[in-house]
Amino acid sequence: MSLFKVNAKPSINAGRILPLLPFIICIVAYIITAQVRHDENPKDKLVPTSKQLIDGFRRSAFEEDRKGEYRLLVDTIASTKRFAIGVAFLFLGVIIGLNMGMLPYFDLVFYKFFLFFDKIPALAILPILFIVFGLGEVSKIALIVIGVMPTIVLDTYLRAKAVPREQITKALTLDASHLEVMYRIVLPKIFPKVLETIRLNFKAVILFLIAGESLAATAGLGYRIFVVRRYIAMDIIIPYVIWISFLAFLADLAVRIWIRKKYTWMDK
Amino acid sequence: MQNYIIRVEEAVQKYRDRDGQMRTVLNNINLRVRRGEFLTVVGPTGCGKSTLLRLILGSEVPFSGKVMVNDVEVKEPSRDRGIVFQKYSLYENRTVRENVMLGLELEQFTIFEPYFRPIKCRRKRKEFREKADIYLERVGLLRHADKHPHQLSGGMRQRAAIAQAMVMQPEVLLMDEPFGALDIGTREAMQVFVLEQWQKDHQTIIFVTHDLEEAIFIGSRIVVLSQYYSDDDGGSTTTHGSMIVKDVQVPWPLPRPTDVKHTKEFNELMMSIRREGLDPDYLQNIKDFDLSHEDAAWWNGGMGWAN
Amino acid sequence: MKPKFYRYIIFTLVLAAVMSLSFAGNTWAKPKKFKAAWSIYAGWQPWDYANQSGILKKWADKYNIEIELVRMDYIPSIEAYVAKKVDACVMTNMEALDMPAASGINTTALILGDFSNGNDAVLTRDNTGIKDLNGEEIYLVELSVSHYLLARALEMNNMDERNVILVNTSDSDIAPAFIANGNQKAVVTWNPLVMQILQEPGISKIFDSSKIPGEILDLMVVRTGVLKENPEFGKALTGAWYEVMDIMSQRGSTADEAMSIMAESAGCSLTEYKMQLKTTAMFYKPQGAVEYTNSEEIKQKMNYVRKFCFEHGLLGENARSVDEVGIKYPDGSIQGDTNNVYFIFDSSFMKMAADGKL
Repeated sequence: MSLFKVNAKPSINAGRILPLLPFIICIVAYIITAQVRHDENPKDKLVPTSKQLIDGFRRSAFEEDRKGEYRLLVDTIASTKRFAIGVAFLFLGVIIGLNMGMLPYFDLVFYKFFLFFDKIPALAILPILFIVFGLGEVSKIALIVIGVMPTIVLDTYLRAKAVPREQITKALTLDASHLEVMYRIVLPKIFPKVLETIRLNFKAVILFLIAGESLAATAGLGYRIFVVRRYIAMDIIIPYVIWISFLAFLADLAVRIWIRKKYTWMDK
Repeated sequence: MQNYIIRVEEAVQKYRDRDGQMRTVLNNINLRVRRGEFLTVVGPTGCGKSTLLRLILGSEVPFSGKVMVNDVEVKEPSRDRGIVFQKYSLYENRTVRENVMLGLELEQFTIFEPYFRPIKCRRKRKEFREKADIYLERVGLLRHADKHPHQLSGGMRQRAAIAQAMVMQPEVLLMDEPFGALDIGTREAMQVFVLEQWQKDHQTIIFVTHDLEEAIFIGSRIVVLSQYYSDDDGGSTTTHGSMIVKDVQVPWPLPRPTDVKHTKEFNELMMSIRREGLDPDYLQNIKDFDLSHEDAAWWNGGMGWAN
Repeated sequence: MKPKFYRYIIFTLVLAAVMSLSFAGNTWAKPKKFKAAWSIYAGWQPWDYANQSGILKKWADKYNIEIELVRMDYIPSIEAYVAKKVDACVMTNMEALDMPAASGINTTALILGDFSNGNDAVLTRDNTGIKDLNGEEIYLVELSVSHYLLARALEMNNMDERNVILVNTSDSDIAPAFIANGNQKAVVTWNPLVMQILQEPGISKIFDSSKIPGEILDLMVVRTGVLKENPEFGKALTGAWYEVMDIMSQRGSTADEAMSIMAESAGCSLTEYKMQLKTTAMFYKPQGAVEYTNSEEIKQKMNYVRKFCFEHGLLGENARSVDEVGIKYPDGSIQGDTNNVYFIFDSSFMKMAADGKL
């Protein structure tokens, strides 16, 4: 068996089947668990059967709830809005990082600060955030920004610093102003990489988003999960978790495709 | 005053090394270059020939002395001195044509103008494109204009870089080991190519290389920079900094067939430069430098250097 | 290819089987060893004292069992109870109904410790009355007893939830968030947060659980099956509880000493703890708890609670009526579906304590 050989060449069939294997194992394990638990306790709520999950999803997505809302839609819109605003703010981080990387005085003033800032676990300063920004939307966006922006700032900073000196000198000989060197030469060059970092940080954005929503909200995917937890509605929580993962996957995929199509020159 | 386009006067460059000690790299460099000259600078590893180029370019300023271009002291890089590096001259996020057009756009558009005056900029861009294509044609890359740099060979990339610099029609074209990373065949072809370009418009060129044969073959004047010399102060070759130990006219007229490389005179010139400039064991005294070029500075005994 | 492929399948099945076994297995409960969970609340602090003082161990030893008492956060403790990781747990009557009982975990209320008599409250700024809450945002933990209290308050004033905007707020931030945000008009929460918030100027209490006495009950519940098979577990818990109650109801230094320990683990001072006890109607004597559990009144009160639960989907979103989950009382009467009795009020253990038969 070539299972443990580094030069193994899996067949085409194996290539088709093996990636599905872990998914199948998880699903099968889940179904068996649900069945066993429901045989023991037909009203078990901790591990709903697949039928209950589908029903839970249907109710969330296609039926009006007690407030007369399609809650999956309402929650998705609320969370997507926060996600989008949060990510938009990350681009501010790109501008800050670019200035730090290119302008030595900005570097001196801000680098150490962001290096330290980056190490602050954002969740730990939640109470401060809520006291400063209240419980509204601002504090949720602030949580995302404080949690993720320093990473983006530092990443952009390092990428801007890594641009060969020659290319900057060259731009100056082509009559670029210092501002143009930053925004017309360096930024377009490092942008796809920065986009890649933002993409990889989507997970952190979502994590902070859900943390924010769990603490105070009137709608949102994270909000719903924490509210229905009050009556152990796993038949709602599990479809929501899958839905969040799916949306995150889509967002990630969209950016990946965008980068691949738009920046064909990258990594060459 | 005179038609020297570049004047380097008593330029000294020192760096602080890791131990915090100041180390002299260039010691008292005097150099005058006439418009239309093709000056090559050659020297052993670590002699500071690229440093000299950077002083003229303006990406470094000298520790003491000064560098003048058109009688104006150089403070930072500017559009009248174009540069071709060994690597990183092109921007990998732009196509070849966009790379060549870049300087024209930077020169004529302010930073946000393309967003505020898109129509005017689009019209202008058409002009730039035509101009860029003339240069791309000249360097034989018109067919590849829409490719990105990573799709080109090393030689093509350097030709694109030359076009990118030349389209700006700078006063001086500086080249820092432009063919250092190319294989021998490509390299010779590029040498011939550069000579052809120079013949067309007699652009002033300063060409730095560590390849002696290339330096002699390509230039109209050759300057040898070396730390291997002896002076009365008794400084050692690792501390006293490089000087111009040879500054001569290259005797063959341009254009030059590649055959000259095989002539006796060519070999003799190579031998003498190799001994006087590149051999660490042969320490020529400062008084014996061959500074026979008409524009060279000469050692004026105790009075220092004179032009 | 073929034999290898079979190997994949076998490998898959074995792995699936191993995983499902480890998920489904509930073989923790070793005989004669029991786990009980408690969370911080004025009415439940005596459990911690029972544990620290050795009283609980003494009673466990008497019945020849072992009881491990663990402190958890409130909701996770109930989740652990529903997942059968603990055998007994403290919770209110409302959560007992909508979390374990609605999930098919047959649950017996073993000890009725107290009812909230002001511990839960609606607080407002700038003299806002219940009527003025129309259209206002209200901070609260949704679907908790705070929510229930608010619903009752609105109901009593002929309003309903559609008149207000509920902002689900974590109990860990609700007090500082309300205090810091001067524009926020109303908050519903429980003690000790109520006390903290009331210390700020300009805030008044407009409704509290003393206006709905006997509705929010603080219980120690045990899984019915465990209790049936091991009545000694129930006896040990009940015996320990009333010994602590006895100590607390004595005046003087013994009681103060005990209550200082309770206060300390609640993170407050003895004075503050005593203040919280004032709004907690403790049943110090088992007789009182037995009487209330056996009364007709408790059925009425439970009816309000189960109505709230049903209307908010807490009995399961598919629940057809308020009768979805049956509740059984000591007199044998059943409220709701007789075939679906999952919540049982049992006064027999408290009765034994009252009769001194433990």
